[in-house]
Amino acid sequence: MRLFTLYNRVLLITSMAGLLIIGYLFYNTLSTYLNKQIDNYLVEELLEVRDYTSKRQDFPPHSEFEDLVIAYHKISRISKKRHFGDTIFFNPKKGVKETGRYLEEDLVMAGQNYSIRIIASKIAHMDQAKSIFLVIILPVLGLLVILWAVNRYMMKRIWVPFNQLLLNLKSFNVNKEQGFEQVSTSIVEFRELNDAIVDISQRVKSDYREIRMFTENASHEMMTPIAVINSKLDMMLQSTELSEEHSRNLVDLYRATAKLTKLNQSLLLLVKIDNNLLLDREQVNLKQMLEEKIQYFQEFTQRKSIVVNANLQEKEVLMSRYLADILLDNLIGNSIRHNYKGGHIQVELSPERLSVTNTSEAGALDETVAFERFYKSPASEGMGLGLTIVKQIVELHGFSISYSYHDDVHVFTVIF
Amino acid sequence: MKILVVEDEQLLRDNIADYLKAEGNVCDLAASLDEATEKIALYDYDCILLDLTLPDGDGLKLMRILKKQDRDDGIIIITARGSVDQRIEGLGLGADDYLIKPFHLSELSARVLAIVRRRSFKGNDLVRFNELNIDIQSKTVKVHGEPISLTRKEYDLLLYFMANKSKVISKSALVAHIWGDHADMADSFDFIYTHIKNLRKKLVDAGCKDYFQSVYGVGYKFSAE
Repeated sequence: MRLFTLYNRVLLITSMAGLLIIGYLFYNTLSTYLNKQIDNYLVEELLEVRDYTSKRQDFPPHSEFEDLVIAYHKISRISKKRHFGDTIFFNPKKGVKETGRYLEEDLVMAGQNYSIRIIASKIAHMDQAKSIFLVIILPVLGLLVILWAVNRYMMKRIWVPFNQLLLNLKSFNVNKEQGFEQVSTSIVEFRELNDAIVDISQRVKSDYREIRMFTENASHEMMTPIAVINSKLDMMLQSTELSEEHSRNLVDLYRATAKLTKLNQSLLLLVKIDNNLLLDREQVNLKQMLEEKIQYFQEFTQRKSIVVNANLQEKEVLMSRYLADILLDNLIGNSIRHNYKGGHIQVELSPERLSVTNTSEAGALDETVAFERFYKSPASEGMGLGLTIVKQIVELHGFSISYSYHDDVHVFTVIF
Repeated sequence: MKILVVEDEQLLRDNIADYLKAEGNVCDLAASLDEATEKIALYDYDCILLDLTLPDGDGLKLMRILKKQDRDDGIIIITARGSVDQRIEGLGLGADDYLIKPFHLSELSARVLAIVRRRSFKGNDLVRFNELNIDIQSKTVKVHGEPISLTRKEYDLLLYFMANKSKVISKSALVAHIWGDHADMADSFDFIYTHIKNLRKKLVDAGCKDYFQSVYGVGYKFSAE
C-alpha cells in the first residue's frame, strides 16, 4: 500500500467516525434542550389550566390555547405524578398527525378526579433543531473536505524530493562513471536522506573501485609466477632423463598452468570491461564476422561431425571490434564445446537479434545463475567465466541476452 | 646471436637465458633498467627481450634511449600487462614483437629467431635443415629441391619446430602456437597429433628423413639424431 493511500485511509476513517459521534451527541443534546423548552411551556400552560379550573370550576375552552391540544377525562384515583413524554397526535388545525410532546397530570375539580393531557406540536422545534444541526455540521463537513484536499496536494508536493531521490537511487549504477545525482530540497529529513545516500554511494563506488584494482593487480602479479612455472616446465621437458611417469606429470602441470593462465586472462578481461577500458567503438559487420568465425571453427565442428546451419542477414553494430570478436568466440565456441558428436548448431542473425542454438548432452542451465561468475554446469570443464564475459560485453553495448532451453536444445539470444 | 634478457624475475630470466643458450646464442642478463641501460651502452644486440615493469622504472624508457641513438637492435616486449594501449605504444617505439606472460620458451625462441632472421639476413629468407628448405618470404617448403604443399597450420608447425631444433616442445606450446586464445578448444591435444601426423607423412613421402620424435605423451622433438 502506498504511504499516501494508507495516510488518507486512516484520515478518512477517523474523521468520519469522529463526525458521526460528534453529530450524534450534538443532535441528542439539542433535542433534549428543545424538549425541556417545550416541557417548560407545557408546565406554564398547565398552571394556567389549574388557575382557570380553581377559579371557575370549569375547564378552559379549546379556543384559549393556540397551538395546543388539551384533553380531560375522568379518572377514579388521583396520582400526584407529573408525566412528560413524546407522542403522535392528531392536529385538528392542520388536519394531520404530528409528533408532539405531552404533559399529563391529574387534578381535582368539583369533587371529580380528572386527568389532563396537554400536547404541544414538536414540528417547529424539530425544524429548528434540524436547521441548527445542519448549520453546524455542514461547515464542519466542508472543512474536512478542504483539509483532505489540502493534505493530498501537500503530500504530493512535499514528497516530490523523496520521489526524485528514489528515482536517482534506482538509476545509480556502481559501474558507471556518474555518481548518485543529488537532490536539493529545503526539507531537513529529505536533505539528510540525500546526504546519507551520497555518502554511501561514494563509499560503495570507492570500495568497488578498490576491488577492481585489487583483482587487476592480483591477476597481473600472478602472471609472472605462472610464467616462471611455465618456463620451468619447458626446461624440465628438455631433460634427457625424462621418464614416462614424469612426462605424465608434466602434461598435467601444463594443463593446470594453461587453465590458470586462462582464468587470469578472463578475470583481467572482465575488469577491463568493467572499467570501460575497451571503448574503441566502430561499425562492425556481424554477418561477415560470424562467417569468418564459423569458417575458423570448421576444423572443430568437422571433427565432431557437427552440422552448422547459418541463416545470416546483414547487420552492423556499433561496438568494440575486439569485444565483438570475444563475444562471438564465446557463443560459437560454447556451442561446439558443449555439443556432442553428430549434433547440430543453428546460428541466426537478423537486424533485431543474434541467436545461437545448439544440441548438448547437458540439460537445461539454471537461467537465474547461468551468467553469474564461476557458475558452470556440472559437465563443463571451463571456469564459468565465459558467459559472464558474454553478458558483460552485451550489457556494455546496451544489448541484452537471454537463455532458453526447449526440445533438448540450448538457445542463447542477443537482442540488439 | 647475442641476446639481452631484461627481466626482474630472476627465475624467469635464468630460464630464458638457459633455453636460448642451448640454441647456441649468447645471452646477457639485466635485472633492472639501470643494468640494461649500462649493457646497451656497451654492446649491440641482435635481440633484446624487454620486460616493461621493472623495479626502477618503465621498460619503455629503454626503448626511447635506443630510438634516440638510432639503434636497430631487435626488441621483443615481454609483459604481464597485455593492455592494448601499451602494446600500441611499445610497437610505436620500435618494438618488433609483443609477448604476454606467461609464454612457452619455445614460442619465445621462435619469435626471437623470426626477428633476428628478418633483421640480419635481409632479402635472404631461406631456412635450411639438411634436405629441408623453407622460403619464409613465399612460404614454400622444398625437400631435396622439390616443392611440397602444406596447409597453413602444417607450415606454421614446421617453422616452429625448425626454430626449436633438438628441443622437446610440449603439446601445450604447440596448441597455443597454432590456436592462440582458442587453445582450450582443441581438447585432448588430438588435433596436434593429427596435424603432425599429416605433416610427417607429407615430408617422408617427399623423401625427407623423419626428424620427428614423440616424447611420451607430453610433446615432440624435431632433431637430426
